[in-house]
Amino acid sequence: METAAAIHTGSNSSPKLNYLTNGSTLRSWLLTKDHKRIAIMYLITVSVFFLMGGLYAATIRLELLTPASDLLQTATYNKVFTQHGILMIFFFLIPSIPAILGNFLLPLMIGAKDLALPRINLLSLYIYWIAGILALIGLMEGGVDTGWTFYAPYSTTFSNSYVMLVGLGIFINGFSSILTGLNFIVTIHTMRAPGMTWFRLPLFVWAHYAVSLVMVLGTPVVAITILLMAVERVAHVGIFDPAIGGDPILYQHLFWFYSHPAVYIMVLPGMGVVSELIANFSRKRIFGYEFVAFSSIAIAVFGFLVWGHHMFVSGQSVYAGLVFSFLTMVVAVPSAIKMFNWTATLYKGSISFDTPMLYGLAFMGLFLIGGLTGLFLGAIGLTVHLTDTYFVVAHFHYVMVGGQVIAYLGGIHYWWPKITGKMYSEFWSKVSAMLVFVGFNLTFFPQFILGYLGMPRRYAAYPEELQVLNIFSTAGASVLGVGLVMPVGYLIHSLFFGKEAGDNPWLLPGLEWRTSSPPPTENFEVMPVVTWEAYDFGEESGLDIEGARQGETRPATVV
Amino acid sequence: MYDGSYIPIFPEGASTFAGHVDLLYAYLIVVSVVFTIPIVMAIFAFSVMYREKEKFATPEEIHGSMVLETVWSFIPFVVSMTIFIGGALVYFEQYTPPEDGMEVYVVGKQWMWKIQHPTGQREINELHVPVNTNVKLTMTTEDVLHSFYVPAFRTKADVVPGRYTYLWFNATTPGKYHLFCAEYCGLNHSGMIGWVYVMSQEEYAAWLSGNTSGQTPVEMGKDLFETKLGCASCHAGGPAQRGAKLEGIFNTDVKLVGGATVKADENYIRNSILNPASQVVEGFQPIMPTFKGQVTEEQLNALVAYIKSLSPSAAASTGSSTAASNMAADKPAANTAANSAAKTPAANTSANKQPAKATKQ
Amino acid sequence: MSTHTHDHSHHRGLQHQFDNMGQQEESVSIGMWLFLAQEIMFFGGMFTAYLVYRSRFPMAFAAGSNHLDVVMGFVNTLVLIVSSLTMALTVYYAQKSNRTMQVVMIVLTMIFGATFLGVKAVEYTDKYNHGLVPVSGLNKRIPADEHAAPGGHDAKPEPGSPAVAEEHSNPRGEFQWHEYEIIEHTIAKQKADPNGHYLTAAEKVGYMSDPATLTLDKDKFRDKVRIFYFIYFMMTGLHALHMIIGLGLMLWLGWKAFKGTFNADYYMPVEMSGLYWHFVDIVWIFLFPLLYLLGRHFLHELGK
Repeated sequence: METAAAIHTGSNSSPKLNYLTNGSTLRSWLLTKDHKRIAIMYLITVSVFFLMGGLYAATIRLELLTPASDLLQTATYNKVFTQHGILMIFFFLIPSIPAILGNFLLPLMIGAKDLALPRINLLSLYIYWIAGILALIGLMEGGVDTGWTFYAPYSTTFSNSYVMLVGLGIFINGFSSILTGLNFIVTIHTMRAPGMTWFRLPLFVWAHYAVSLVMVLGTPVVAITILLMAVERVAHVGIFDPAIGGDPILYQHLFWFYSHPAVYIMVLPGMGVVSELIANFSRKRIFGYEFVAFSSIAIAVFGFLVWGHHMFVSGQSVYAGLVFSFLTMVVAVPSAIKMFNWTATLYKGSISFDTPMLYGLAFMGLFLIGGLTGLFLGAIGLTVHLTDTYFVVAHFHYVMVGGQVIAYLGGIHYWWPKITGKMYSEFWSKVSAMLVFVGFNLTFFPQFILGYLGMPRRYAAYPEELQVLNIFSTAGASVLGVGLVMPVGYLIHSLFFGKEAGDNPWLLPGLEWRTSSPPPTENFEVMPVVTWEAYDFGEESGLDIEGARQGETRPATVV
Repeated sequence: MYDGSYIPIFPEGASTFAGHVDLLYAYLIVVSVVFTIPIVMAIFAFSVMYREKEKFATPEEIHGSMVLETVWSFIPFVVSMTIFIGGALVYFEQYTPPEDGMEVYVVGKQWMWKIQHPTGQREINELHVPVNTNVKLTMTTEDVLHSFYVPAFRTKADVVPGRYTYLWFNATTPGKYHLFCAEYCGLNHSGMIGWVYVMSQEEYAAWLSGNTSGQTPVEMGKDLFETKLGCASCHAGGPAQRGAKLEGIFNTDVKLVGGATVKADENYIRNSILNPASQVVEGFQPIMPTFKGQVTEEQLNALVAYIKSLSPSAAASTGSSTAASNMAADKPAANTAANSAAKTPAANTSANKQPAKATKQ
Repeated sequence: MSTHTHDHSHHRGLQHQFDNMGQQEESVSIGMWLFLAQEIMFFGGMFTAYLVYRSRFPMAFAAGSNHLDVVMGFVNTLVLIVSSLTMALTVYYAQKSNRTMQVVMIVLTMIFGATFLGVKAVEYTDKYNHGLVPVSGLNKRIPADEHAAPGGHDAKPEPGSPAVAEEHSNPRGEFQWHEYEIIEHTIAKQKADPNGHYLTAAEKVGYMSDPATLTLDKDKFRDKVRIFYFIYFMMTGLHALHMIIGLGLMLWLGWKAFKGTFNADYYMPVEMSGLYWHFVDIVWIFLFPLLYLLGRHFLHELGK
């Protein structure tokens, strides 16, 4: 094996075959084993679900412009917020970064030809499609109105909606998640290039390792929970029905045992992306690399121990509440460690403000607020007042949208040149990022205030004194919506009219940047042998800095 | 009601522990600000100071610092422990009901709150309580999960089918406060709302006896008879008439099942309400339910007064309270008689003039 | 797990993404262990439900368990353990490149697996006949005017068998439970010794029409027994499903072994299939005592 030659930033001018052009029949895409093509197909499907979930969100905010339930019938509104949650959580947030960016980049970042189990990867995609179709059929038939949490006994005995069909879709979707996680763990263990030791891995890889543990071990529990709910619904055996000896709280324990780790499934990959953005756009190794790496694992492990913090007022015992509150405080610490380490990375760096970096910095600020408000909700005396109010809604949107979606967008923008070989308009991407940031805060910050005032969640109608704050929130949502839709425009535009990006437009040391943009099907013409540390921006890692300065230019940054 | 003159930013607190919850909230805001400001300032400062001066620069390698890692692991941990302790203390206050206290029963059902006071008073979507009194709610639900939430008191608890859950508070300020259902329960979840009325002790006592509007006993009795207790559904005539016609019954002789004859005086009327099975009128079925535990003494007096008022000779009788009442009745007996006399024609017009027929089930 | 020391970079079984067989084998192995870990979590949810309800209603669980056929359950346990032996021998013979014995062992494994399923089918049918399926309508319907004269059944009921149930009509195929001797005996003991721990707190309320006097409400007790049977069917049903999948896996493996695919150089698929099979076996090892062996001492107490 030879060392990868020093890479210029120059564009890949000779029209060699890359993974996009290597086979152009539908069959070559649908039956592919190439992780990069699978990632692209995930990208398209995930984007569709995101837009659908976004339409539901817009509907919610429109209804909440007025205190009365006047835009929609309450029955419809109940379905709208339920379906917003289901589509966003199960079909967008959970797959997004791992299935798209993880699938695409993991083999590249570790210097491998593909994931360890490519056919399993394809199976994951098929399962995701089947699950999505089932859920969509359920939605079209009439939808569900149970809330994405499907609490018993409403979902098992009282709801007249398509619980079974949509539940089946979610059940099947779980297996897609499990197989993806399984694949990642195996790949990271066995497919690393020579010299790529664990502590030379990019933090993106560490984050995906941690998230894969959660996906593999947590998802089966929600699978059995949905199965039990479905059996209860059909056969009325009584497992959650107190009239015949069952316990509705058991449902909540089983449900949240997965659904709390699920939020870490959503946010850990985002943190992995942010580590990459901060490090690469400061041209500096992440401060406290080992701490950031291990904090991902710590979050994954501790995340399994705090599910009861969703049940503080459910009727669970006072002592259980105290234990879960304590552990919730503990799980906050690794996230704090990351935040400090990212900030310290900026110190004495060489920071450029390309769009991906803007998203990375936005994540830091917004996740800070989201994470801190999580402490509010973990303080058990306070959460008795705040639980099931808009405070919770604001908190989780700060971490999910302000955190995960921002990180996702940052990742898409960052690796877009690598994935497509084209560069998007820096001007429009910055405008879009600004709109997203401003719109997001205007949408969700008022909801903290609404929550403390006592506005409960899942309400179609609310007391009229709360209207002004709701109007602010809807105004913000319209700005946010514009900002989120814009990338569809300029990114697709870049596919046809964008500048050639070149192999390594920002001259970065990661292995994914040492192959052409877009990469060839087998990822590397010459398999790399790694002799340098992670985030080594100097010449020891083989970067031809002088050559880059003299020769090529980076895509112009317009501010 | 809301008049649009202000935008609420912070809710009023009206319970003994609301202030503690707010204090915890303030502490958390302070903690958040103390962490956010330095970090955000650092981000801004570093972004400006260390913006790239030269393309593809290679800044100094800084791997990390054990000292810093330890400091910024330890301090957040300690701070989060203080938050945990603060939260736990407030939580103990919220979820440890006091030994004494007025017990109220709450049943949630799709989509209303049914509330019952120990004295029998029932309410729907409203809870009247006296100020500065420990109130303990024992709650359950008839169907799905709901959650009883009063933001002004800063407390909530889910209601779970098949078991009881508990809530307590001690309201400090008279007023009217939102009551919400805070656990999604289906179609009309956002309509399962109401009010908690905190009243002074005197107002509460008056409310409890039903005499909130300064009614006379006969007026109150009529209200109870026709509306609140549903007596009219069997006794007011029409096709549903199953009970004895009560107009003109007072102080007459009544023949009972079993042959005995009694006089329909105040005691008789009182006993018919509390223990109807013991004196069924001949020709009628023993189907009247007892109202024992559901009427206060004050209300019994009012009902007796009303039924008396249905008889023309009522004005002449010296009806007075048949039992000592804890709640002082303000109206003197003479007033009652005078009112009854004045009301009699009006009362009679609403009654069924046809002779009561014995009705079979 | 065995190790390979020689390079198989051009082995015909090598998949394109791997550099050598060692890497492929390690990957497949980790993958299978992870898959089994998530299966454990899947069953774990049901074990949790079992744990919760058994700790609340142990008498109902004991009563329900007594009506499971211990003999059949034990036979099944032996069958599975022996099938794990034949499975392990399959791997052994693959390592030894012994094609014939591989196939023999796979066939034997399948026979044992099928036997297990057959016994389960007999058990399930028995439950159907005696009204022990916890879903209304899924039990044998016995019209109201017909009393099952036990023409083909034993005249003398087996200890602990619900022979009494046969005499009851079941026109709508509902869950039937008519055995209250043990619970009544236990309630009597609890009444005689109020400080004793014969019933849990949940039982003192959950079985009773009047908790204060510990008056048994038969319907409420029956409901808790029904929960036991639900968990029984759910857990053994999921297990049986995994066994069916295992049989399918064996069919595929047998075919490949017959074609001579596996030998000393390449037997990973056999080993991985073996892992799956052993996992299914181990789940049963847990299920058998937890479901079948509860409350047997009550039968002795009552002299049955």
